[in-house]
Amino acid sequence: MSEATPKLKVGMYWAASCGGCDISLLEIGPRLIDLIQVADVVFWPCAADFKYQHVADYPDGHIDVCFYNGSIRTSEQEELARLLRKKAKCLVAYGSCAGDGGIPALANLKDTKGIFDASYHNNPSIDNPDGVEPQHIVETEFGQLEIPVFYDQVIRLKDVVQVDYEIPGCPPQADQVWKVIGLVASGAVPLRNAALRVGCDDKSICDECHREKRNTRITAFHRPHEIIPDPDHCLLEQGVVCLGPATRSGCGGLCTKAGLPCRGCYGPAGKVVDMGTAMISAIGSLIDTEDEEVARKLVAQIADPTGTFYRFSLGSSHLKARK
Amino acid sequence: MSEANEVKIGVFICHCGGNISDVVDVKSVAERVGKLPDVVISTTHMFMCSDPGQGLIEDKIKDLGLNRLIVAACSPTLHLPTFRRAAQRAGLNQFLVEHINIREHVSWVVEDKVAATDKATRLVTAAVGRVRYLEPLEMRSIDIHQKAMVIGGGVAGLIAARDLAARGMRVVLAEKRMFLGGRMAQLDTLYPTGERAWDLLGPLIQDVVNHPEITIHTGATLVEASGVVGDFRLKLRVRPRGVAPGVDNIADAVAACPVEADYAFNYGLNKRKAIYAPYRDAMWPREACIVWDDCTKCGDCVKAVSGQGIDLNPPAQEIEVQAGVVVLATGYHPYEPKAGEYGWGQPGVVTLQQLNRMMNPEGPTGGRVEVNGKPVKRLAFIHCVGACEREGVHAQGEHGKVNDYCARTCCTATMHAALELQQRDPELQTASFHQHIRTYGRGHEDYYDRASAAGMLFLRHPGDEPPTVVSAGADGLLVRSRDLLTDGVEVEYPADMVVLSTGVVPRDHGDLRELFKCTIGADNFLSEVHPKLRPVEIAVSGIMVAGACQAPMDITEASAAASAAASKAAAMISQGAVLMDPFIAQVNESLCSDCQTCLTVCPYDAIHRIEADGVARVDEALCTGCGTCHAACPSAAIQQYGFTDDQVMAEVQMLLDGKLADLTA
Amino acid sequence: MAQPQASRETAASPAWEPRIIAFLCYWCSYTGADNAGIARLKYPANADIIRLNCSGRIDPQLVTAAFSRGADGVMVCGCHPGCCHYISGNFKTMVRMPLLQRVLEDLGIEKERFVHEWVSASEAEKFSKLVAQTVENVRALGPLNWPGMLHDRGVGHGQDRKPWGE
Repeated sequence: MSEATPKLKVGMYWAASCGGCDISLLEIGPRLIDLIQVADVVFWPCAADFKYQHVADYPDGHIDVCFYNGSIRTSEQEELARLLRKKAKCLVAYGSCAGDGGIPALANLKDTKGIFDASYHNNPSIDNPDGVEPQHIVETEFGQLEIPVFYDQVIRLKDVVQVDYEIPGCPPQADQVWKVIGLVASGAVPLRNAALRVGCDDKSICDECHREKRNTRITAFHRPHEIIPDPDHCLLEQGVVCLGPATRSGCGGLCTKAGLPCRGCYGPAGKVVDMGTAMISAIGSLIDTEDEEVARKLVAQIADPTGTFYRFSLGSSHLKARK
Repeated sequence: MSEANEVKIGVFICHCGGNISDVVDVKSVAERVGKLPDVVISTTHMFMCSDPGQGLIEDKIKDLGLNRLIVAACSPTLHLPTFRRAAQRAGLNQFLVEHINIREHVSWVVEDKVAATDKATRLVTAAVGRVRYLEPLEMRSIDIHQKAMVIGGGVAGLIAARDLAARGMRVVLAEKRMFLGGRMAQLDTLYPTGERAWDLLGPLIQDVVNHPEITIHTGATLVEASGVVGDFRLKLRVRPRGVAPGVDNIADAVAACPVEADYAFNYGLNKRKAIYAPYRDAMWPREACIVWDDCTKCGDCVKAVSGQGIDLNPPAQEIEVQAGVVVLATGYHPYEPKAGEYGWGQPGVVTLQQLNRMMNPEGPTGGRVEVNGKPVKRLAFIHCVGACEREGVHAQGEHGKVNDYCARTCCTATMHAALELQQRDPELQTASFHQHIRTYGRGHEDYYDRASAAGMLFLRHPGDEPPTVVSAGADGLLVRSRDLLTDGVEVEYPADMVVLSTGVVPRDHGDLRELFKCTIGADNFLSEVHPKLRPVEIAVSGIMVAGACQAPMDITEASAAASAAASKAAAMISQGAVLMDPFIAQVNESLCSDCQTCLTVCPYDAIHRIEADGVARVDEALCTGCGTCHAACPSAAIQQYGFTDDQVMAEVQMLLDGKLADLTA
Repeated sequence: MAQPQASRETAASPAWEPRIIAFLCYWCSYTGADNAGIARLKYPANADIIRLNCSGRIDPQLVTAAFSRGADGVMVCGCHPGCCHYISGNFKTMVRMPLLQRVLEDLGIEKERFVHEWVSASEAEKFSKLVAQTVENVRALGPLNWPGMLHDRGVGHGQDRKPWGE
């Protein structure tokens, strides 16, 4: 590569995240060598010692493409989102957490008080006789100590800044990530966009899943460990709650291939906004009864509809949180 | 936004002559709505549905180039077509029109005028959001095949076929049994005219049989039905008779047959052979027939006719019929008492139907009404057997319910039979055990009066204490009852014969429900669309009902229903094409993931999987526009025209905050 | 994103009126509401009706959308099971709504706010009483104000928040 073509400046930040997305970037494996031929990593706190000040000192728009993974729970995460928006030409919400809230967004089913209570007080493995809780500002003998504000709600990247692309997945599939990097590096996609979902397709997982639909009725619901399902038959039809019909495709139907129901990590399919109600519609349609009591008893067998149907997408749903 | 994409909304609010404007400040509504984006004109009129009102709309559409029309007035059930037509006349697609209800839903129900005005404003505002997402649509036009299918060859089916043919329609008539005539053929004299059933039925059958435009299949059962109004595809399976026309010595064949079975035509009062011939000339077809369920294929009948004209292994026939409309005239069954019910099973206890067969000189007893060879001198009639039943008092039927409806015809038929028997034998003593007498029709009460004058005793029991019938050994039967007409005294009536005036039960409509998606009422009869306004149509477009398959009724009423059904059917056929509204669902095949969730929800089987493409597709002719598949699709790949997500969400949005914010946030 | 105006009042404010969205099927419930008008039955003005052909078209997302955009209550009405004009559309409603109800309760939306009832064309009085009862129940619970709640929790705004370092 000649000096005349400048290397792509790439960044990756992790917010309320498990670290899986950072690892997934490494999943591109030997292609990493190809990547560093064309790109310079200018910010990646997980992998190298970058300070926020480095980024703040960059000129605006300095970073060509910045991947932001994890959802936003604290003021630090939001401030970094705004900083990276300023300093990046193209900001990508990487992974389900940044795009749809992900697993962290399930914390919205509790309020801050409830979360702190479970984390710091009423918990069998916590010994906290003085009832200490983290405080935003604490006076110490060394001066004032400030830690980020803990927000009342988990929000997504696009709730605070304009996002150019979203790559769904928990984590995104390596092949898909590599494809996106290629598109950006080659200039095939504009750097600025309107939260366009890439690295995925518009259809739902049923399009990719190898299992066969037999149009059988659901007569009972089972958790995955409760039955040994027929490996070739649709899991949902066998009564195992699989979010495949309501989940965006692009992962290759990996989980159902391995015998597990789809958990919905790629977020809603098509133009659907609220994934949980899409799943309610699907399940409601697959139960065939004319008796209200039978209907109620059947749906009562689903252990946790809210947590199951909104597992990765509560941040993108209509209601987003518990009151 | 370019000229072509510009939305220009016209809002017209009706005073309804004060019905609306006395409560809703329509001018204020017009003013507030007029401020919304893209509303080009927002005005009111005293009577929007009047000629000048419609004229105003048409003028403004033309003058201002409006491409969306909102009318806020009465309920759309009244005038939506009116305003659609007005739009059409002005050159605007009729489905770019919205009719908002601010009368039945606002001015007539809200007392506070400010609240009413606010509500009307909100509803019109919602429409302003919705209309911007409307698209021009066209009515669906489905050609109507010029043929009618009548299912059932009893009096209702025959009259329907005759009336249809009289209007120049081609008719195919299918009757399940081997002979035409249905239940009327089993009757002797009819009320209220006293004519003999066959004197009427015979000529009717001849009219139908001789009509060149009517094709008749007997022994024919409907086994498959698909399609939609205008193009029903039906398949009949025809049981062969096994006997060719014109066999000379068929009586020898019948005599030779060794098999005997209960003769259902005579309600089991006598037996018939496995091969039997029509017993009167008026029956049609004229040929004898073999009852395959009873035939042992012994061949004795074949030997008796020297092998000419009887085929014991004829092939079953399947006939395909294409019809534009279908008339269901499938009739009813008389109620069969349960074992022991009012003594059913004991000698001397008969149903009214059996009594009628006995009274018939051509019946199994030659007209003699006897028990054990002795003429009947004391006859008790018990009404409401299998009708007007009560939970907790009467046993439930197989369907888990009691027959709580009135069967209507039995009281008059009872009085008629009692009177006739009385006239034949003036010394006959008769008694009527009833909870009520319903001789409701024209001339029916007359039978009651005359039976009473002829000496019939009337005993009224409480509805929850029906009479009981016990054997009195050699002396016959005893009917025990409480008689409310004599102060609740317990009465014991000795009788030679007890006649159970049985009600009617619907035939099992499971097959029709499957084949035609008919709605069945709680009483298991076929349900009409509306008992007063559309009494002979069912919810499936193009299918009419005639006669007792719909509800208990007598021949008079069945004839009227049959003519009405024929009239409706003929009207439909003669239009040549049927117009259906365009609010059908459509699958976006680029989003359809073949999850097959939608395939099972359609009540009309209008969505099918296209194997080659691995997607679902809606059959436009079958879709009725319920939208259930739209709501079912978990990838929003199905949208229902007229009720798309954008349109409905826009209403929700505008109702709640008056602004169209980003619907996808 | 524009801030919603509608349900910003608190229960204490005398100006607040419950905002109810009612999704009705055209053939039974809407006609039932029409008949309530023809009978001149009086009931509160708070329920705005959205007409759909069949209750089977009532997608649960319409309900969550309504709540999220400021409805204090949502009603879903259709033909009685077995009497659906489209034969079986309402059997699907019958299964979807209880499942939706569970999710709404998990999200803290009180069950009195979401009303799912069968209303036939002849049940004008039932409809008017149902609306009146729902409005009163919701009034007692106070405004739901979901957009306000999300706004207060920092969803979708925060223009006042600065990037790190500034």
